[in-house]
Amino acid sequence: MRNIFSVFVLLLLCNICLPLINNLQAAEVDYARDIKPMLIEKCSSCHGALAQEADLRLDAGVLIHQGGESGKVIDLEHVTESLLLERVTTDDVDLRMPPEGEGEPLKKKQIELLKAWIAAGAKTPKDELIPAQPKDHWAYQPIVRPAVPEISSTEINNPIDAFIKLKHQQTGLQTAPSADQHLLVRRLYLDLIGIPPTREQIVQFDQQASEAAYSQLADQLLASPQYGERWGRHWMDVWRYSDWDGYKQQLRGSQRHIWRWRDWIIESINADKGYNQMVLEMLAADELMPEDYDAIRATGYLARNYHKSNRDIWLDATVEHTAKAFLGMTINCAKCHDHKFDPIAQQKYYELRAIFEPHNVRTERVPGQANLTLDGLPRAYDAELDVETYLYMQGNEKHPDKENPVSPAVPALFDDSFKVTPVQLPAVAVFPSLQPHIEKEQLAVLAKQLTQKQNALKKLGESADTKQATLQMEVAQLKLHSSKSRWVADKAKYADAAKEELEKLAKLAATEEREFNHQQAQLDQMLKQAALDTAEKVEVTQLAEDADDAVKKKVKAENDKRQAAIDKAKKDLKAAVDQLAKTEKARKLTDGKYTSVGTAYPKTSTGRRLAFARWVIDPKNPLTARVAVNHIWMRHFGEPLVTNVFDFGLRSPKPEYAELLDWLAAELIEHNWSMKHIHRLIVNSQAYQLASSMNPKTTKANQSIDPDNRLIWKVNARRLDAEVIRDSILSASGSLDLTAGGPDIDFNEGETNARRSVYFRHAYEKQMKMLVLFDTAGPNECYRRSPSIIPQQALALANSPLTLSQARKLSQQLSEEFPGSDTSADSQFIEAAFQQLLTRKPSEAELAACHKFLSTQATTLADATKLTSFNGNTKAQVEPAADPKLRARENLVHVLIHHNDFVTVR
Amino acid sequence: MADQLPPPIQSQTRRSFLTEMGLGFGSVALSAMLQKEALAEATNALPPAAKAKSVIWLFMIGGASHMESFDPKPMLNKHAGKTIEETPFKDVLSSPYLENERVVAFDPNNGFIRNEIYPLQIGYKKRGQSGLEISDWFPHLGEQADDMCLVRSMWTEDSNHGAQLQFHTGRHRVDGFFPTIGSWVNYGLGSLNENLPEFVVMGNPLADCCGGREAHRANYLGPQYDGVPLKIDPNDPLPYAKPAQGVYREEQQGEFELLNQLNQLTADKFPDDDAVRARIRSFELAYRMQTAVPEVVQFSDETAATHKMYGLDQKETKTFGQQMLAARRLVERGVRFVQVYHGSSGGAGRWDSHKGLKNSHSKLCKEIDQPVAGLLKDLKQRGLLDETIVVWASEFGRTPGSQHADGRDHHPFGFTVWMAGGGIKGGIAHGKTDELGFHAVENRHYVTDIHATILHQLGLDPHQMVVPGRKRLEKEIGKPIHQVIA
Repeated sequence: MRNIFSVFVLLLLCNICLPLINNLQAAEVDYARDIKPMLIEKCSSCHGALAQEADLRLDAGVLIHQGGESGKVIDLEHVTESLLLERVTTDDVDLRMPPEGEGEPLKKKQIELLKAWIAAGAKTPKDELIPAQPKDHWAYQPIVRPAVPEISSTEINNPIDAFIKLKHQQTGLQTAPSADQHLLVRRLYLDLIGIPPTREQIVQFDQQASEAAYSQLADQLLASPQYGERWGRHWMDVWRYSDWDGYKQQLRGSQRHIWRWRDWIIESINADKGYNQMVLEMLAADELMPEDYDAIRATGYLARNYHKSNRDIWLDATVEHTAKAFLGMTINCAKCHDHKFDPIAQQKYYELRAIFEPHNVRTERVPGQANLTLDGLPRAYDAELDVETYLYMQGNEKHPDKENPVSPAVPALFDDSFKVTPVQLPAVAVFPSLQPHIEKEQLAVLAKQLTQKQNALKKLGESADTKQATLQMEVAQLKLHSSKSRWVADKAKYADAAKEELEKLAKLAATEEREFNHQQAQLDQMLKQAALDTAEKVEVTQLAEDADDAVKKKVKAENDKRQAAIDKAKKDLKAAVDQLAKTEKARKLTDGKYTSVGTAYPKTSTGRRLAFARWVIDPKNPLTARVAVNHIWMRHFGEPLVTNVFDFGLRSPKPEYAELLDWLAAELIEHNWSMKHIHRLIVNSQAYQLASSMNPKTTKANQSIDPDNRLIWKVNARRLDAEVIRDSILSASGSLDLTAGGPDIDFNEGETNARRSVYFRHAYEKQMKMLVLFDTAGPNECYRRSPSIIPQQALALANSPLTLSQARKLSQQLSEEFPGSDTSADSQFIEAAFQQLLTRKPSEAELAACHKFLSTQATTLADATKLTSFNGNTKAQVEPAADPKLRARENLVHVLIHHNDFVTVR
Repeated sequence: MADQLPPPIQSQTRRSFLTEMGLGFGSVALSAMLQKEALAEATNALPPAAKAKSVIWLFMIGGASHMESFDPKPMLNKHAGKTIEETPFKDVLSSPYLENERVVAFDPNNGFIRNEIYPLQIGYKKRGQSGLEISDWFPHLGEQADDMCLVRSMWTEDSNHGAQLQFHTGRHRVDGFFPTIGSWVNYGLGSLNENLPEFVVMGNPLADCCGGREAHRANYLGPQYDGVPLKIDPNDPLPYAKPAQGVYREEQQGEFELLNQLNQLTADKFPDDDAVRARIRSFELAYRMQTAVPEVVQFSDETAATHKMYGLDQKETKTFGQQMLAARRLVERGVRFVQVYHGSSGGAGRWDSHKGLKNSHSKLCKEIDQPVAGLLKDLKQRGLLDETIVVWASEFGRTPGSQHADGRDHHPFGFTVWMAGGGIKGGIAHGKTDELGFHAVENRHYVTDIHATILHQLGLDPHQMVVPGRKRLEKEIGKPIHQVIA
C-alpha cells in the first residue's frame, strides 16, 4: 500500500508554503482514493446519475472532463481558474458549492487535494464505469408487450410457458413433470379459495374426466365467494389492513368499524372490479363518488393510517406505504434527504405528502345506529383545503422550511398529465345529516321520549301534583317540534331554497329552539330546587356530650357531607336560575340563529388525491401494473418475479423473467385490470401445474444450475398461510362457517368460533394466537410473509382445542360412514381420512402404519387405569368417543391434521 | 408427578439416547437424525478438539459505547471540547481504515465522524487481580474481570444499524441474508438434549430495519437450523403447552409416534424437501418441550441466593436476570447456542444514544450488569464456565466526539466485544484502539473473528462445513483469535 500519510503531512506543510506545494503533492493524490469519494459525497446528488444540474456530472472522470452548460470545469493550463475549484472556493454564498443547506463546504484539505489532482493532470482511470442513469432502469421503461418467444420443441399453449421454457432451454434446465392430478386440484383449491377440496369435490372432479375439467374448476373457484376472502386477505397484507388499536377504549390507531373497508376489498375482488378502479376508490372514492357510501368504504385504506398522537407519523405512513404498495417505490428514504439510489429528491417526498395533507378522517353515521362507537363508516375527506405542506429540513419536523411551501406533485416517472382540479361536493357530502335515515331516526327518538313523558303524566292521575310531569312533557314536545323545524331549515339551506324562504324558516327554527331552551331551563330550575329541598331535609346529626373521639369524627364527617350536598345543590340552583334568565332574555330575540342538526364539512375537496390516483393507474405509469402482477405471481408461486416486492427502484436488478413480467403487466392493463384474468392465465399455465419434486438425479443437475429454483423448473412446496391452516381444519370436518362480512370478531374466540379467519380482529396486540404462531401478517407492514418452522406451531396443532374438536367431529362422521372395526372398515376409514385431509390415498406403508396404530392405540386406551392425564386448562367443544377403538380413530384423524402434508401445498 | 415426563436426558449422545428410548420413531427417522450426528462427528473429528460445548451470546441492540464500558480513554477527558483536529491525534481523520465504512443509505442525522471531543461520562477502576479496567457502570461485572477477555480492537463496515445483522452473518446488510453464527453452530453440532431446541433465542428480536428475525435464522442451511424463540415467563412459558382436558399422555405419545412415521415416509418420498425434515424435528422437539420448557423456567427450583445473584429481586434487573438464569439452565441442559437480545425498541435499539448518553447508558448498564455478572459467577461455581463461552457484543461502538451536546454517534471503526469461559483466557485485554478510541489499531478484528474463535473452541472448522452450491467469502468466516485462547 502506498504511504497514504504522506499526503497528510504535505498538506500540513501546504498551509505554510502554498506556492510550492502543488507540484510536490501532485504525485501523491489518488483519484480513486482521494477525489472520487469526495465528489460523490459532496456533488453527485445534483451532478450525477440521479440529477444533472447545469448539465454537469461529476461522478466519472470522462464526465468531469466533459464539463456542463458553462463549459469545461477543469482547466489544466490554469489550474486555479478551473471552474470546479472556483465554485467550491468562492466566498459568494450564492455561488458556492455545495449550496447552503445541501452540504458542508469543502474543507481546506479537500480543496488542496482537488487542486493537486488537477495540477497533476486530473487523471482518472480509463476503464472507470459510468454509473447508469435512472432513466435507463428497467422498471422505469414503458410497459411494452414483449413478443412471446417461439418455442418449437414442445407444445406450448400458454405464453407464460413460452417465456419460461425459453430460459430452461438456454440454461439447460430440465423442467419437472406435471403434478399429480389430485395434488394439483388441492393446490388450486388452496391457492384460489384457501380451503382444501373435500372427498366429494375430488370425486366430482374425477367424474368430469374431460380435458377442460381443470380449467373449469379454476373458473368455478374464481366465481366462489371464498375466492374474495382468500385473495382479499392477500391484498389486506399489502394494504396494511388493521382493525382499530388502542388502550382500553381509547382509539390510538386505525379506526373503529374499519371492517367495512375489509368487506369492500372482499366484495370488490369477488366482483372482479379492476385493480385500477380499486386503487382509485381507495385513494379518492370520496372525491370520485361522493354519494356512494359503498365505494367510500374503500377510503378505509387512508383512514387506517390514523395515528392519534402524531399527524406526521400518520402522513408519513400514508406516503411511505402508498408508494411502496402501488408503485414499488421507497420514497420514504427521501424524507430527510434526497434518495441516494433512486431519482427522488427530498422535495418529491413532500410533494407527495402535499397530496394527502388536506385529508382527515371522519365517521359517517350508518342506518340503525346513532352511537358512532358502536357502528359507523370510517372514511377519508379533505378537511383543511388551504393547509400548507412544508419541507422538513433533514426530515426534522422542528425545522419546517416555511418560506417555500410545497405544492402537490408526482414523481416524473413518465410523460403524465397530472393536474389537480378541485371537486365540488354534493350537499349530502357537505352535510351528511341530509341522509334521510338520520332525520327519521333522530325524530323517532324524540317522538318516543315525548310518548314516554305523556304516559308518565297520564299515570300520575289528576289527584297528584302534576306540575313537574307536565313541564317535562311540554319540554319533550318542544324539543320534537323545534327539532323538526331545524331539520326543515337545514334541508332548505342545502337545497338552495330562495333567500326569503330560508330566512323565514331559520327564524322559525330559531324561535322554537329559544322557546324550547327556555322551557328546558324552567324545568331545570324546578328540578334543582327540588334537589335542594331534598338535601336540606336531611337531618343534622346531634352529638351526645360524652361521645368519644371516633364517634365525633364520624358525626362530623356526616354533617360535613350533608353541608357539601346542600352547597352543591345551591350552586346548581343558582346556575339554573342564571340560565333561565339568559333564556328569558334570548326569547326576545328575533334573528334566525339556530343550532344546525349536524356538522357541515367543506363544500369542495381539493381533488389532489383523485388526480394522484389517476396518475397511479395511468396505463403509461411504468410501475403500477408491474408491481401488481408481481404481487399476484408471488402468491401463486411462493416467489415473486421481482425479488423485492416493494422496491422496484435502482437497487432492484432486472429480473430473470423481466419479459414475462412485462407481458403479464400488459395483459392486466389490456384486460381492464382484471385480476381474475391474470389468475386464469397463471393457473392454466404448465409452469403452475408442475410437480414440486422430480427424480433426484435431475434435481441435482438442475440445482447445480439454479439452486434456488429462480427459473421455475419445478413448483416450490409451500407452507400454508396461517389463516388457511385454521380454515382448513374447520373445513375438513364441515364446520367452517361461510358467513361473509360483518364486524370484526374478537380474536379470543378463534378456538371456538367457526367463521373464516379473515373476519377476526387483526391489530397491534389483538391477533389470534394460533395465527401469530403461523406467521400471519404483521398489522403494521407485511408486503410478504415469512413462514417459519418452530416447535410452537407443532404444539398449536397438537394441543389446540379447535384441532382436537374438529378431529373428533370428522372422525365421528367417517366412522358413521365406515362402521365396524374389521380391517376392511378400518382401511376405508383410513383412506377416507387421507383423502379428506391430504387429498391423496395412503401408500401401502402409510396404510400399514395406520392399521398398526389403530390397534395399539385402542389397546392403550382400553385400560384407563394405566393412563395418565394431562392437567390441561382448556376444554375441547367436542368430547372424545367412549369406545377405545373409535377414540383411536379420532387420534388418527388428529395426527393427519398435524401431518406435514396437511400444512403444506405441494 | 403426573405432570412430568421422564426427566430430560442430559449429557448423552444422540445415538445412545435413541437406543435407550427405543421410541417408535421408525428406523428412517432414526437414520435422519443419525445423519446429522454423523456430520457433527465428522466435524468434531477434525482438529482441534472441542474445548467448549455451548455458547451464550448476548447482543446489545443499538450500539453500546465502548469508551464508557470496557475501553477507557483518558484523552477524551483531557481534550474534551476540542475538535479532533486540535488534538495531537488528528491523524485518525486520514486513516485508511475510514475506507472500511460502507454506507447503506446516507443519513444526515447519523453515521458521521463527530469532531468535538466528548469527555467520558463515567469513571473506571482496575478490577480483580488482573487489574482489567472496566467502567463504574459495571460494578458487578467488574468482580468477574479475571474471567473476562476484552477484545478492544473490533471493527465493522456498516455505520448504520444494519450492522446488527452484519454482526451475526458477517455480511453487509445490502448483501442480503445469510446463515447466522447461531445457525452454523446448530448445523455443525449435534444436540446434547433432545428435549430442547439446539439454538434458543430470548428477548425481543431486532427490528426489521436492522435485519429482524434474520439475525437468528439459518437462511440456506434450512429452517431446521433457525433459532427457536422462547419467552421467559414462568407464568406462561409456552403457548399451547398442554392439550385440552381429558387427553392422556400415552394417547398423545402414540399420536406423535405415528406422526413421525408418517412424516418420515413423506421425507423419504421428497428427499429435497428441507421443510418436512425441519418439521419432523420440530414436532419431536415440541412433544418434549411441553414439559422441558416450563421446567427450564421453573425458577422456584433455585435458591433465594441464586435469585438475588441474578437480580431477580430488583425491578430493573428482573427481566434480563430471568433470561440469564434461563440461559444457564438451558446450557446446563445441553442447549448449544443461546442468543439473547437486549435493548429492543422496535427501531434502532435502546443502546443507540445519540443524545442523553449518560442517562440512557447508566440505565441500560444497570439492567444487565448484575444479571450478566451473576451468570458468569454461577456458571463458574457450577463448573460450567469451562465449557460455555459467554459473548457480549453490540453492533458497533460510539464516536469519541459528541452529538447533540450530550450523546455519541455510531462508530464502526473501533469498539469492544468481550468473551468469557470456554477456554478463553481470562483477565486480559486484547487489541487496542488509538488514544481517542477512534480506530482499532492493534490486533484488529472484523466481527467474524469472534465467530471463528467460537467455532474453534467448539471444535468446528468452518471451512469443512460446506454447503453445495454456496460459496462463502473468507470475510464471512473470519479467523480465530489465537492469542486469546488459553
